[in-house]
Amino acid sequence: MATDSVSIALTGSGGAGVMTAGQILLDAAAKAGYYGLMSRSSGPQIRGGEAAALVRISTKPVSSLDDRYDLVVAFDWQNVQRFADELPMNGDSLILTDPAEGEIPGAIAAYGARVAAVPFAEMAKTIPGGRANMIGLGLVAALIGLPVEPIVEVLAAALKKKGEEALKASTAGLNLGAETAKGIAPISQLSAAPTTDVPHWNISGNEGAGLGAVRGGVRFCAAYPITPGTEILEWLAPNLAALGGTLVQAEDEIASITMCLGASFGGVPSITATSGPGLALMIEALGLSVASETPVVVVDVMRGGPSTGIPTKCEQSDLNIAVYGLHGDAPHLVVAPNSIGDCVFTTQWAVHLAEHMQTAAIVLSDQAMGQSRAIIDRPADLAFMARRLTATAVEGEAYQRYKLTANGISPMAIPGTPGCMYTSDGLEHNERGTPSSTASDHQKQMDKRLRKVMQHDYGNHWADIEGEGEIAVITWGSVTSPCVEAVERLTAKGAKIKLISLRLLLPALPEKLHAELAGVSKLLVVEQTHGAQFHKYLRAHYELPETVDVLNRPGPLPIRPQEVETRLAAWM
Amino acid sequence: MNQFDAASFLAHALAFETEAAERYDDLADTMETHNNAEVAELFRRMANFSRMHADAVKGRAAGTELPHFKPWEFQWKDAEGPEVAPVERTHYLMTPYHCLQLALHNERRGRDFYREVSAANTDAEVKRLADQMAEEEQDHVLVLEAWLARTPEPQPDWDQDLDPPTVAD
Amino acid sequence: MTAVTPTYAVKDYKSDLKPIWCPGCGDFSVLSSLTKAFAELQRAPETCAVVSGIGCSSRIPAYTNVYGFHGVHGRSLTAAAGLKLARPDLTVVVTGGDGDGFSIGGNHFLHACRRNVDMTYIVMDNQVYGMTKGQASPTTAPDWCSSKLTPEGTGISAIQPLQLALACGANFVARGFSGDPNHVAKLIVEAVNHPGFSFLQILSPCVTFRTEQRGWKDVVQKDKIAAATSNVAEALAILAEDDGVATGILYAGKRAPFQPNNKASSDLDRIERKFVA
Repeated sequence: MATDSVSIALTGSGGAGVMTAGQILLDAAAKAGYYGLMSRSSGPQIRGGEAAALVRISTKPVSSLDDRYDLVVAFDWQNVQRFADELPMNGDSLILTDPAEGEIPGAIAAYGARVAAVPFAEMAKTIPGGRANMIGLGLVAALIGLPVEPIVEVLAAALKKKGEEALKASTAGLNLGAETAKGIAPISQLSAAPTTDVPHWNISGNEGAGLGAVRGGVRFCAAYPITPGTEILEWLAPNLAALGGTLVQAEDEIASITMCLGASFGGVPSITATSGPGLALMIEALGLSVASETPVVVVDVMRGGPSTGIPTKCEQSDLNIAVYGLHGDAPHLVVAPNSIGDCVFTTQWAVHLAEHMQTAAIVLSDQAMGQSRAIIDRPADLAFMARRLTATAVEGEAYQRYKLTANGISPMAIPGTPGCMYTSDGLEHNERGTPSSTASDHQKQMDKRLRKVMQHDYGNHWADIEGEGEIAVITWGSVTSPCVEAVERLTAKGAKIKLISLRLLLPALPEKLHAELAGVSKLLVVEQTHGAQFHKYLRAHYELPETVDVLNRPGPLPIRPQEVETRLAAWM
Repeated sequence: MNQFDAASFLAHALAFETEAAERYDDLADTMETHNNAEVAELFRRMANFSRMHADAVKGRAAGTELPHFKPWEFQWKDAEGPEVAPVERTHYLMTPYHCLQLALHNERRGRDFYREVSAANTDAEVKRLADQMAEEEQDHVLVLEAWLARTPEPQPDWDQDLDPPTVAD
Repeated sequence: MTAVTPTYAVKDYKSDLKPIWCPGCGDFSVLSSLTKAFAELQRAPETCAVVSGIGCSSRIPAYTNVYGFHGVHGRSLTAAAGLKLARPDLTVVVTGGDGDGFSIGGNHFLHACRRNVDMTYIVMDNQVYGMTKGQASPTTAPDWCSSKLTPEGTGISAIQPLQLALACGANFVARGFSGDPNHVAKLIVEAVNHPGFSFLQILSPCVTFRTEQRGWKDVVQKDKIAAATSNVAEALAILAEDDGVATGILYAGKRAPFQPNNKASSDLDRIERKFVA
C-alpha cells in the first residue's frame, strides 16, 4: 500500500557504516524529489560505538520523527538495546536482522514487529570489496519503493575520490540488496514524490543557524566548541572567511561572548553558538550587552540538562535561564526556531533584532533540530538585515550615546567616527554615558532599555499559528513538529484545533497571545522539560484559558505525534 | 646636564611651566572631587601663576621656533619637570600648609634648574636668559616662603579620617 | 626633534571627566603617560580605543577622549581582541589592574599573550584590590597581612607577570613605574609601535591600602632590565635576578601578530548552492 511517510532505522556498531548509509539514503530520497529527515543516535565512544541512523522519508516537509519505524535494519546487535526506547515499532513494522549476529534483544523484540533474516555479512563476502551497509541500503530502497538510480548518483559523487573499484563494489552491493527484497514480505511503499518548482535543500539545523547569521549580516564569530552546537561554528569558519569575515577560536565561552561584544562595539555584527553549560557561563556578558547596549546574538543549541546532563540528546530546559538568567532587570530578546528550516529564518531575524535594538538576542535551538538533517524547500530571501542606528557628530552638540528617545534606541557611534567618542559602560549611566548611581538616571535608563524591546513591531513572526477552534495547542521549538502532525491527523477527522508555536519568547507580548486565545476554552501545553518551564512561563506572563493541560517530559526521548494526539483526543 | 641652545632651553622652560599649570589644575580638580575646597582653591591659584610664567616664557620665545621634544627627551634632574608637582606628594586631607610646601618645593627646583643651566652652559645668550629666569624664580620662592610662614602648621592628626574607606564599584 | 605643529595635542586625548582616584594614586600618572603617548603617536582620537575591566585603573577609558569600552571584571583582553580582530584599523590599548588582569583575567591573559593580537596591555600593578577595599591580589606577597579576607597573609606565592607573559608568547614585555610618567609614556609609545601583543607592567602605588608603596620611588631602578632582547631565554635569565622593581623594556620579539585578513572570495549565492539537494 502507498504511504506518505516511511521511517527507517539503520543500526549497528563499530565500522558498520550505518550513519553513512543513512545519509546516502536521505540524499538519494532528496534527489528523487522527496522530503525527509535524518537523526542520529550513538553510544559514548568516539569510534566503534553502537549507532543508529534514523531516517524518515516523506512526500511532505517533515521536521521530526514519526510515531514508529516501518523498518529497522540491524547489522548487528552489539549494545543496540540501548536504543530500544528510540525504536518504537508495532506489528506492522519489519526488522531485518543478520542471523549470524544472534538473538534480537528482548526490549526490541517486545515491540512485536515482524522479523526477516538477512545474512548481510555473508552476502557482503560474495562481492569483492563488498560492504554490508550497501546491501542493506539496496534492500531498504527496494522495500520502500525508492528507485536505485538516485542512490547510485549519490554514491558516485561520494566515492569519486576512492575510484572505480569502490563504486563498482558499492553498486553491486546495492543491486544484491535490491534482489533480496523480492523474498521479503512487503511494507508500505512511498507514494510518488511531489513535483515542485521550489528547489529543495538538504540542511541541518546547525548549518541553517550559521546561514541565517550570515544572511543577517554577521561577519564576526568567536567560537568555543560544545556538543551539540559545534557544527554551527564549524560551518561558519570557512563561510565567514569566504565572505570577508572572521571566526576565531576562543579559550572558553566567556572569551567567546566578550570577543563578540568587542567586535560588535567596533561595528561588526557578531554571533557565537553554544549549549546550556556555555550559556550559563556567558550570562554575565549578556548582561553587559544589555546594559551597555552592545548588540550580540548567542545561539543555544539545547541539550539534556542540568549541568553536564545528556550532551547528545534534546531537551527544552534552557528556557528559564534564557528568559530569567540575567542578574538585575535586563530586558533582552529570546527567540526560538520551530523547525530545521526555521533555524535559518529565526537566526537571521535575531541578528536583525539585536542590531536594531542594540541588545542581546538568545536563539534557543536544540539538539533535535541542530544535529538532524532535513530536506526542505529553499528558505525565502527576507529583508531582515543588520541595520544598526549609527551616529555622526553634530556641530555644537555633545554626543550622548545613551540619549533618551521615544523608542528607546539611541544612535550608536562606531569607532573611527570623529567627534562622537564615548565610553560604553556596564555601570549604570546617564545619557552621556558617565557612570551614575542616581535614582533618576537609573529609572530613565531602565525605562529606556525596556521600552526598546517592548515598542518594537515584531510583525507576524512572534508565533506561527494554524487552525481555529475552542481547543488549542501551544508549544515552541522542535516540539512544534509532532504537534503539527497530531493536529493534522485530528483535523482530518473533523476536529477544530488551533496550534500556536511561539517564536518570540522574550519580550512576552500578552496582547497578541490573548487575541489568539480569545475563544479558546481548553489549552494543551506541550514541552520537553521535566519542570514544565514553558507552562510556568505562560502562567507568569499571560492569561490562560480555564482548562489547561500540560504534556511535559524531559529528554532524551522525543515527543511523538501520537502522544499529543492521545492527549487532545481526551477532550473530544 | 648637556649644553642647550637658546631654542632648546626655552622649549624646556615652556614645557615645565605649561605642565606645571596642567598638573596644578589636575590637582585642584582632584581636591575638589575629594571635598578639600581650601586646597583646591590654592592649587587653582598655583595653576594660574604657572600659566602666567608660561606666558612670560612664550613672550621671551616670540619669533623663535621651538623644537619639539618627546616627553622623555627632556633633561630633567627628577622624573618630571622641575615645577611639576609630583602626584605622590598629595593627600586628600592635605592642608594649605602642605600645598604651599609643595609649591615652594617646586619653585625652588625651578630656580635650581635655571641656576644649573646657567652654570653648565657656555652660550652667553642661554646664560643670560637662565640667570634672569633664576632671579624671577627666586622672587617666587621668597613670596612662597613668606606665605608659608604665615600659614598655620598642620595638626599632628591632620591625616586622621574617622570614616573607613568605601567602595565605588 | 621637529618643529612641526602637531595636529593633536595631549589635551585632545583627555575628556572633561575628573578622575575619582585618591590623590597620590599612581593611576593619575599613567593616565598622563597614556595621553602623552597618544600625542606622540599622533593617531586621530577617533581611531583609538581603550578597553578596560573593573577596578580603579579600569576607570581610565572615561577619562580619555578616545573610544572606550568599560566591560566586566577580568574580560578586557578578550573584548579588546574581538575589537581589534574586527577592526584592525584601530589602535587598541587595554588598561586594568593586577586583580582584574591576573586573577579573574588570568586565563585570558595567558591566551592573549599566546594569540599575539596587535594591541597594548597596560596593567597598573599595586599588588592589591583597591576598589573593593584592600584584598590581596595575585601579585601580593604571601606574608602581607593587612587584608581582612586573609589576615594571616595569603600564604600563596605571588605570580610573576613578566615571566608569565614571556612564557606564553607576548611579543613585547616591559616594566615601568608611575613615578616616572615620561618614561612610561616612552614605554607606551614603543609598545604600541611594536607589532603583536605588548605587555606593560606599571608599578602604580595605592596610597590608601598600600601606603608603604610610597617608598617604591626610593627603590625603583630605571632601565635596569632594559635588555630589549628578542631572545626569550635571555629575557628569562635576566628575570631570574629580577627584584620586581627594575624598569625598562625587557623583551621585543619577532612573532608575527595574529590578524586574519580575510578578503571576500565568495558570496551568499555560491554558499547557498551547496545546500541544494
